[in-house]
Amino acid sequence: MVYIGPLEIPGRLIYDFLHIFILPGFGAILVLVILIIWAERKIAGLVQLRYGPLHVSRRIGGALQLIADLIRYSLQEFIVPENVDKIAYLMAPALALLFAVIPIAFMPTAPGIAPPIYVEPNLLLILAVISLAPIFVIVTGVASDNKFAFIGSLREAFLMISYEIPFIISILSTAFIYGTLDLYKIVEAQSKAFLGVLLNPFAALVAYIAILRITGRFPFEISEAESELVMGPYTEYSGLMYGVAMGIGYIKLYVYSLLFSIVFLGGWLPISSTGNIVFDYILGNIILLTKASILMLIAVFLRSVYPRYRIDQAVRLGWSLILILSGAAVAWSLIIHLII
Amino acid sequence: MEVDRESSNDFLSNLSQELFMIRETGVREEGERLIELQIGPAHPGSGHMRILAWVDGDIVVRCDPDIGFVHRTIEKLSENRAYIKTIPLVERPSLLDTTPMTIGYVNAVEKLMGIEAPPRAKYLRTILAEITRIASHFYGIGILAIFLGHSTGFMWAFGDREVMIELATMLTGARITYAYVIPGGVRRDMPQNFPDQVEKGLRYIERRLKDWEKLFLNNPVVERRLRDIGVLKPVMARRLGITGPNLRASGVDYDVRMAEPYEAYDEIDFMIPVAEEGDAYARGLVRFKEIEQSISIIRQAIKKIPDGDIISPQISRLFNPLMKKIYAETRRVKFPSLLATLKPPKGEAMARVEAGRGEALFHIISDGSTNPYRFRFVTPSFRNVILFKYLIPGHRLADIPAIYGSIDYFPPEADR
Repeated sequence: MVYIGPLEIPGRLIYDFLHIFILPGFGAILVLVILIIWAERKIAGLVQLRYGPLHVSRRIGGALQLIADLIRYSLQEFIVPENVDKIAYLMAPALALLFAVIPIAFMPTAPGIAPPIYVEPNLLLILAVISLAPIFVIVTGVASDNKFAFIGSLREAFLMISYEIPFIISILSTAFIYGTLDLYKIVEAQSKAFLGVLLNPFAALVAYIAILRITGRFPFEISEAESELVMGPYTEYSGLMYGVAMGIGYIKLYVYSLLFSIVFLGGWLPISSTGNIVFDYILGNIILLTKASILMLIAVFLRSVYPRYRIDQAVRLGWSLILILSGAAVAWSLIIHLII
Repeated sequence: MEVDRESSNDFLSNLSQELFMIRETGVREEGERLIELQIGPAHPGSGHMRILAWVDGDIVVRCDPDIGFVHRTIEKLSENRAYIKTIPLVERPSLLDTTPMTIGYVNAVEKLMGIEAPPRAKYLRTILAEITRIASHFYGIGILAIFLGHSTGFMWAFGDREVMIELATMLTGARITYAYVIPGGVRRDMPQNFPDQVEKGLRYIERRLKDWEKLFLNNPVVERRLRDIGVLKPVMARRLGITGPNLRASGVDYDVRMAEPYEAYDEIDFMIPVAEEGDAYARGLVRFKEIEQSISIIRQAIKKIPDGDIISPQISRLFNPLMKKIYAETRRVKFPSLLATLKPPKGEAMARVEAGRGEALFHIISDGSTNPYRFRFVTPSFRNVILFKYLIPGHRLADIPAIYGSIDYFPPEADR
């Protein structure tokens, strides 16, 4: 393992900067989220016998539509209603966004390069940070002083509990197979055997379904159900904050897809460390992001196929089938562990 | 019958009042237990109405539809208009389902005047009425789909509806408000290539119905959202005076086209789809089956349509030479000026039609002047709106849009 250790200051700083601001950090987030939302609209358009985004940047099929939307959101008047708890109202989406992106700093994304913040059990740390984000969604709803927002945040709370527990169980169950909680070593373990999705298909299935719920994709887009709750927790937001609130779901999807790709799809495999750091960094990240993008595309495609579940159906599904499956994932991991 | 009435009385009192009373006493003891939600009139899931829902946890304990936001005084307006000018007026309330409304109104006027449309005009009216029925059902299904969050269903429905609208445009020259039916006949004959285009359009719809079955009707999430939701028992349906596909989804076999045939329906062989379950899924399913039946009706009507005039001789004898020339060359009816100051004899006339959403009733009282003395217009949505009060309590908040979509309620049609 060729880690660029924390002590090698010159190279270290450059890679930290690149990791956070370019790949797989903010630059990649911005580009990928824009592309994914565009792809979502285009795929939906294809299924629904219409064009999708077209008129903004006609030559590239309307790919810049979201940038136009963002400009519109930022120029729109941002109304803060009188009765809201102003500090919580303004801070909560920003904090939710922050806690959604922080895990990237702990993720190794290329062979031979340690993430900016490297601690040994970084999988645990990521799960801990990532599960903080929903709290701010709940704060958003409560601070808004709106019945629909309040109900939306309650739904978010119910669903989060019923899907994050199976998610965390299924992700952690893979530790029995890999023998480690370090994402870098998890990828290495997969390079020696099979990909995680083959080693423990139950865990992968549970994790993917839970990701769909946690990031609010269909058929689990329940807390923001438009026909019931207007916009769920974000009902009272307008202008730029609304744009941010809408982006959180996609950014979460990106981060969770990265995590899923590392744990179950072998991260940057099939390449391994070649010694050429620049080459490793670029190719490793591109492979990882490709895998994550495919996962995201599947997730956004489901919008064209499914309506949304009712809250009680989704919660029941979480506490019954999904939880049982995550138990099966643990058992399966133990069996594999005993065999290996 | 006696047993039926008793059980329905129980049902009425149990479902709403008792449940609400129990919960409300809970309110006083435990503090604020219910949340009063005002869904609408500016809410993505309300349409032009307000749904007042009292929610206990996630369960709706009481629900009141608050209608009247788009009341347009159609009845009063018609009292100050010539008879013929009310034809475009009666199509305004139910914009998706215009032809049955004009047929109903014109039938009432024709009864007053004692004239009858020639057979070809009756067939043309029937064809257009069925075309708009398909369009109206697709609209309802699309709204049901988007209320469940199924954007594909919404877009598909509106896309498929477009085919029917194009066909209607070929026939009438307008997309939605055709005003095609006039006393004594119709405004235009069908174009030469119309039967071919209709066949093409119907084949397309038939192909699409298979896709619909795959993606919507057999979609597991759709089934879970709609099955056993908002069950309307036949007794209740009769008691509340529910009409249209909602009634037939509850197992009551009643359709004005069968019960009291108008236009060409008595010469056409079709069946009335009925479902037994009475839940939201059955209501959606009945609409799909009715689309299939409408397709069959249009095919038969196109095949059977007789040659001849499209306007009654009692009207066409009022034509001046230019009008006669236009009628002979293009088969288009120009209104004779006498028709604008039409004075039917004193009396009353009533007509019923089966519109897309159910039975519509038209009652005209004439005092012998150029305007109706009184015009009563009962739309199917107006009769179905009561379902909000009786179907929703006991269900979850998320079932409100599901039930709303499944009863295909259209606020402007109810408010008139």
